[in-house]
Amino acid sequence: MPWPKETRWLGKETPRVDGPAKVTGRAKFTSDIVLPGVLHGAILRAKWPAAHVKSVNLEKARRAPGIKAAILVNEGEFEVRYAGQEIAALAGTSKQAVLDALALIEVSAEPAAFVVKELEAVKADAPQVFAGKANLTEGAAKETGEVAAAFAAAAAVAEATVSTPIQLHQPMEPHGHTVQIDGDELTAWSSTQGVFACRDSFAKSMNFPQSKVRVTCEHMGGGFGSKFNPGVEGLLCAKLAQAAGAPVKLMLTRAEEGLAVGNRPSSFQKLKLAADAEGKLTAFEIYSVGTPGFAAGANQGGGSGGASFPAPYIYKPAATRVKQGSVAVNAGQSCAFRAPGHPVASVGMEAVLDELAVKLGVDPVEIRIKNDPHEIRRKEYALGAEKFGWKEKYRKPGASPGPVKTGVGVAGAAWMSGGRGTQAEIQVNADGTVEVRVGTQDLGTGSRTVVQVVAAEMLGLDRDRITVRIGDSRFPPSGSSGGSQTTAAVSPAIFDACENVLAELKKVSGLDDPRGANWKAACAKLGSAPLQVRGKWREGLSTGGAGGVQFAEVGVDTDMGAVKVKKVLVVQDCGLVVNKLTCESQINGGVIMGLGYALYEQRVMDARTGFVLNPTLENYKLPGAADLPEIQIMLLDMPERGVIGVGEPCTVPTASAIANAVANALGVRVPDLPLTPDRVLAALGKVPKGATGTAARPDATAGAFAAVAAAPEAEWVESNGGCHSYT
Amino acid sequence: MNAFSYVTAQTAGSAVELVRERGRFLAGGMDLLGEIKDGLAEPAVLVNVKALPGTREIVVAKDKVVIGANVTLATLAEHAEAKKLLPALAQAADAVGSPQMRNVGTVGGNLAQHSRCWYYRQRDVRCVKKGGSRCFARGGENKYHSLFTKNMCLSPCVSNLAVALSALDAAVVVQRGAKTVTLAIAQLYERAWSEPKAHHSLAADELILRVEVPVAAGARSAYVRIAEKNEFDWALVSCVAAGRIEGGKLRGVRVALGSVAPIPWQVKEANAALEGREPTAENAAKAAERLLKDAEPREQIGYKIPIAQALVKRAVTALAG
Ligand SMILES: Cc1cc2nc3c(=O)[nH]c(=O)nc-3n(C[C@H](O)[C@H](O)[C@H](O)COP(=O)(O)OP(=O)(O)OC[C@H]3O[C@@H](n4cnc5c(N)ncnc54)[C@H](O)[C@@H]3O)c2cc1C
Repeated sequence: MPWPKETRWLGKETPRVDGPAKVTGRAKFTSDIVLPGVLHGAILRAKWPAAHVKSVNLEKARRAPGIKAAILVNEGEFEVRYAGQEIAALAGTSKQAVLDALALIEVSAEPAAFVVKELEAVKADAPQVFAGKANLTEGAAKETGEVAAAFAAAAAVAEATVSTPIQLHQPMEPHGHTVQIDGDELTAWSSTQGVFACRDSFAKSMNFPQSKVRVTCEHMGGGFGSKFNPGVEGLLCAKLAQAAGAPVKLMLTRAEEGLAVGNRPSSFQKLKLAADAEGKLTAFEIYSVGTPGFAAGANQGGGSGGASFPAPYIYKPAATRVKQGSVAVNAGQSCAFRAPGHPVASVGMEAVLDELAVKLGVDPVEIRIKNDPHEIRRKEYALGAEKFGWKEKYRKPGASPGPVKTGVGVAGAAWMSGGRGTQAEIQVNADGTVEVRVGTQDLGTGSRTVVQVVAAEMLGLDRDRITVRIGDSRFPPSGSSGGSQTTAAVSPAIFDACENVLAELKKVSGLDDPRGANWKAACAKLGSAPLQVRGKWREGLSTGGAGGVQFAEVGVDTDMGAVKVKKVLVVQDCGLVVNKLTCESQINGGVIMGLGYALYEQRVMDARTGFVLNPTLENYKLPGAADLPEIQIMLLDMPERGVIGVGEPCTVPTASAIANAVANALGVRVPDLPLTPDRVLAALGKVPKGATGTAARPDATAGAFAAVAAAPEAEWVESNGGCHSYT
Repeated sequence: MNAFSYVTAQTAGSAVELVRERGRFLAGGMDLLGEIKDGLAEPAVLVNVKALPGTREIVVAKDKVVIGANVTLATLAEHAEAKKLLPALAQAADAVGSPQMRNVGTVGGNLAQHSRCWYYRQRDVRCVKKGGSRCFARGGENKYHSLFTKNMCLSPCVSNLAVALSALDAAVVVQRGAKTVTLAIAQLYERAWSEPKAHHSLAADELILRVEVPVAAGARSAYVRIAEKNEFDWALVSCVAAGRIEGGKLRGVRVALGSVAPIPWQVKEANAALEGREPTAENAAKAAERLLKDAEPREQIGYKIPIAQALVKRAVTALAG
């Protein structure tokens, strides 16, 4: 790799360049954009989980005080498939005027039968989300090797049935846009992970030339995969702006975030894993079903339409049987969510692997080192076990004395990372200041800081000479921020542009090395025309395939069922570290999100009303500061591998490691995530008979697995291909 | 949201007059504004009661502590003497929501807050608490609901202060028309025990003025709870034990459970089982048994029983000091 060996900025701890602006409130997020004459937009959403809508009358709403535009989402009759589906939108002079006018929209609808629970929806007599189509779609059974024979010949076979909840993205900044249409130009201020993707999407749906659409996103408060395009709300915002002839701001409310902007599909998994006497994995079987939302049964093509996930995850026994189903329910649709598929896959696989280790009497770390095909992860397990004190801490399951039992668990992650296709532009002014322009955006990962660090390093300058401009589709193109690809896509482009700057500057100034001490003198030769130079991503500076492992230590109060995570150790492969602080910050965030998945987060649907009962943060429980464990991070700094993104792999194994630690503490597995006190107590047999609890009922899951196993292959909806591939 | 008028009352008498025409008292607004925004309440007038004289003080007298209705939860939680004399009450106040909420929420508003049931709080669900015909929590998602109730509604009383004040045997002074009346905590909530629509016993025009908590020499108390998260979360179950220790024995002891019934849950026999005994785990277990005797562990609520048992043990043994 051509990256410098001795560095001043690369791999060091650089605080975010926009940190001061963010903590003082000067940073402008989408909701801070206030254009003169801007109108407020809001959406009318269906209050039925299923209905046939015959007509929507906007006239009364249109005449309400302050209302300037009223539009329909669908012309004519249409079907409602979940409570929260968009029906119409209004724009008006104040937020309250618009909210009040929403109540004046008349919707004539015939409510229909619906189903919101996965294990009900798989039943043959369940209401169909799409009339005439089975709710359950199955993937082709994938079989390799002689599965039955391999299980029969195994030294030990372990089984596990687990479930994972629907997790909501709930980014701190809700989804939203401000759109202005001025003549033939459309400008959008969007909270987005992809300014170019948004530009193209606005152009297409609004029928504008791409050259006349500009999307900017100076700062944004997270997206986690749910902000790759403008969404229905963005399109409605643009249409309202067009209809009203005035700019419109449309930001979703917190409750809307819980209904209609994506989620991580649920899963129910029945797994079987076998090994020979040496502990080498020989056979694997999984039946799974989950819901990605209402569209699972539809032939929707592409997108995150399925609830399938990589299986077997990470490990590669020779004989495998995999059958996965997706079931449609009357609820909001999933979309990409930080490491799509992987945390789900990891929870089941790492659980059954631990059960197998117990049966074989093999240490959980050893069985992983023995079976993991990834060399770096094997190294990470060894390093991590040492640092964590695994040998001293690991006890037989349930062996810790009570009432607060401690336990430890471990799990691994695979992620493709990678990233390419970014261009950048550098302008050097005669006074020696530098502007770097690149059409990426900062999802919250610190992209702006990464750009500055690379430029400062390559040009040999103090960071404050370098102004970074990102988040604008008028800048040189870069991809969307997803797949943990941004840093690996952007850094090489900056590197390349810097090389070109230095070459040009050498020519102009006649100085052999215009960097560092010579910089001012070299730039002074530029005269009145600043130097503008381009660069683009090139091979050989970044790579993909990030492995990581995590160790967790928990205390479980067996009287009250409360789980407290004491410590998480992350050993993360991340190639060349560009900025240690933002890299570690990503990992902290990933661990916290995984902790939420393990212990707190779950969208709760009500079977009889079809409503999401906890769309807001009062009852959709995100981890807070008081819930955080000590997070210890070991970065495997391997500059020779080039830049690798870590945003997703770092969230994959957290929940699995925690769930394994809880099983280790208790000596029984709490099968359903999140591991809430009621479920822990139920697993311990402390809940009175007759109380069914919130855990998945074995007879219901058995029915679902039987349905997946028995049903013929049907229309298969491939899940988001790009994001789901892994090494 | 319907249009409403806003008025700041200067006397308790005028406050109860002003509220009569479809009005609501407004204190910190943490609960009420949420209800208005979610379409659950449509008051014609908001009567701001925060300016009422003498309602923002905590006065420590010889045999009682008097806490004005508009004292904020943060003030109560941090009050040096309250912490010393009434530790359970200060702890209960400190455990409410987040610091922002404690800075704004008041004692009166906390006691008079409405149901947090996630069916009740849904705009488009008309449940029995809103005058509908059924309780959706029955047979539904009810893990946050009651183990005990005498009516159709399963929504529990979730006020942290109510459970503490119940065990501390406090009284609430209420403006009722031109008079003031004094209610025990049990009286403040008894209507919610039998009437599904009631959140507490107060009529719409009855105003809490202050709370009076008796203190005796050697009084001890403890508040313990468990929530799913460590901060900013509702208690799944909470428990307060209060009493004196004389010669190693419990005297005047009361144990109350929160979030298990539409009222703070006390059982006379449970208190009696502890009277004159040592604050040991065994004695606590006997009291817990009596407290939970009539519990109905329906569907998803059964897990609250082992939690309540554990909390009673922790609260009672904490009285040993
Ligand atoms: C997200 C969230 C989490 C919360 N967590 C907790 C918790 O863990 N524990 C807990 O106990 N509470 C909790 N609360 C509730 C909160 O503590 C109470 O809502 C708050 O204390 C109410 O105080 P307030 O002054 O803001 O009341 P307001 O909203 O002003 O009033 C609440 C109700 O009381 C009435 N009222 C106000 N003052 C009086 C009075 N003097 N006399 C008669 N009626 C009156 C009002 O009309 C209204 O109906 C939480 C609330 C939220 C939104």
